[in-house]
Amino acid sequence: MTEKVRSRNRALVRHVALPMIFLTVALLGGLRVSATDRVFVFVAPPLITLVLAVLLMLLFVRGGLVDLKAWLASEHPAIENVSHALTLLSLFFASAQAFNSVLPESGLLFWLFSFFFLWTLWNNQFAQFDAKRLLRSLAVLFGTAFVLKHMLIASLYAPEGGWLKRIMGTLLEGVSLGTLDAQAFAPATGYISFFTLALYVAGLILLPPAPVRATDEDAGRLVAAYHQLSLPERDAVREAITQDQIEIKRIEERTETETIETQLGKQ
Amino acid sequence: MQHKLIQSVGIAWTLLYAIFIIWIYATEPRTFKEVATGAEVAVGTYQIDQAKFDAALQLFRQEKFRAARDEWGRADPQQQDARTQFYIAYAFYREGWGRVYNDDNLFKQGVEAANRAIRLAPDESLRVEDADLQIKTPAELKAELEQGTERSLDDLNPLRVLRERK
Repeated sequence: MTEKVRSRNRALVRHVALPMIFLTVALLGGLRVSATDRVFVFVAPPLITLVLAVLLMLLFVRGGLVDLKAWLASEHPAIENVSHALTLLSLFFASAQAFNSVLPESGLLFWLFSFFFLWTLWNNQFAQFDAKRLLRSLAVLFGTAFVLKHMLIASLYAPEGGWLKRIMGTLLEGVSLGTLDAQAFAPATGYISFFTLALYVAGLILLPPAPVRATDEDAGRLVAAYHQLSLPERDAVREAITQDQIEIKRIEERTETETIETQLGKQ
Repeated sequence: MQHKLIQSVGIAWTLLYAIFIIWIYATEPRTFKEVATGAEVAVGTYQIDQAKFDAALQLFRQEKFRAARDEWGRADPQQQDARTQFYIAYAFYREGWGRVYNDDNLFKQGVEAANRAIRLAPDESLRVEDADLQIKTPAELKAELEQGTERSLDDLNPLRVLRERK
């Protein structure tokens, strides 16, 4: 019974919860709140975020966070493949929007951040990764970008900031010959971005490297039931299985002998 | 069987949610209220605020055109009602009309509103039977507004000052 519930919950996570989580990240990743009139501003993902998302998806496959062959295979039923493809597609768009959430909107800072992301992801393509290390590395990468954009840069350009912050912001603009072009958003934007990134990382943690299929679950249930038996009962099960195997082997041998004898008789 | 059901529900729900996100990014609503109104437009249950429309009409008749336009803007925030857009265009026309010269900027905005009215009533079904208005359809209004912004020798005709506002 418990195994049945577990199996249902796994299916719910894989086919319903994960696409929901990733699509919510895709929705919120481009959402900003204007600093002046407090209205929503939706920023569509720039092209570079799609490139970064492709690199990240490759990294997921290389790092073993996603076993592509287990997710999409010709032996799966069509409906399962469609469901899995949608989950992976939503993961792709969530990744693009997670980058969009921590990238500055325009100017030199946008290109600087994009370049560092690109550099890090490209280097990681050639590094040895396992799923856990990859997750940790991603959490740090997004965390750093979040702190830089929504805390450091946002506080420098905040309209309600103190005079020291404003002087620093003006100095930075001067040094960079006005190419920084950082946009100020309401503090709510930072909270939305934080929630988005937390949701994204939670989704990645929930994402199984390879989906457990119904047939695998049947075998799992059998093993679990076996472990619940007492020692004499386990012996009886093992004996029965061994007996079955011996019987099957005997039948196979007999059939083989009969075939050979028939062939010899014909000759 | 239960797995198949979960998969089907998951696929349907994912597609619906994805369509909603694409719609949000395409329409770019600025507030939760705009999200709700946009959803009403999408499902075809959108209606203008009749009380605000009537209030705007009163302002229009008192020749308070700017205030009338604001009120009509609030009555039809999604700009989806052909009649309201027609009245907005008319308000631009009346405010921009001048005996000696017309306000080109207001007339251009009027053309935009008239275009919206035409787009929302593509089969030319809209005819506003208002005794106060001489122009009854968005197409006629658009033609009048466009004529008002064109430059011609007729502009130098001194008899132009005798023409009447419609």
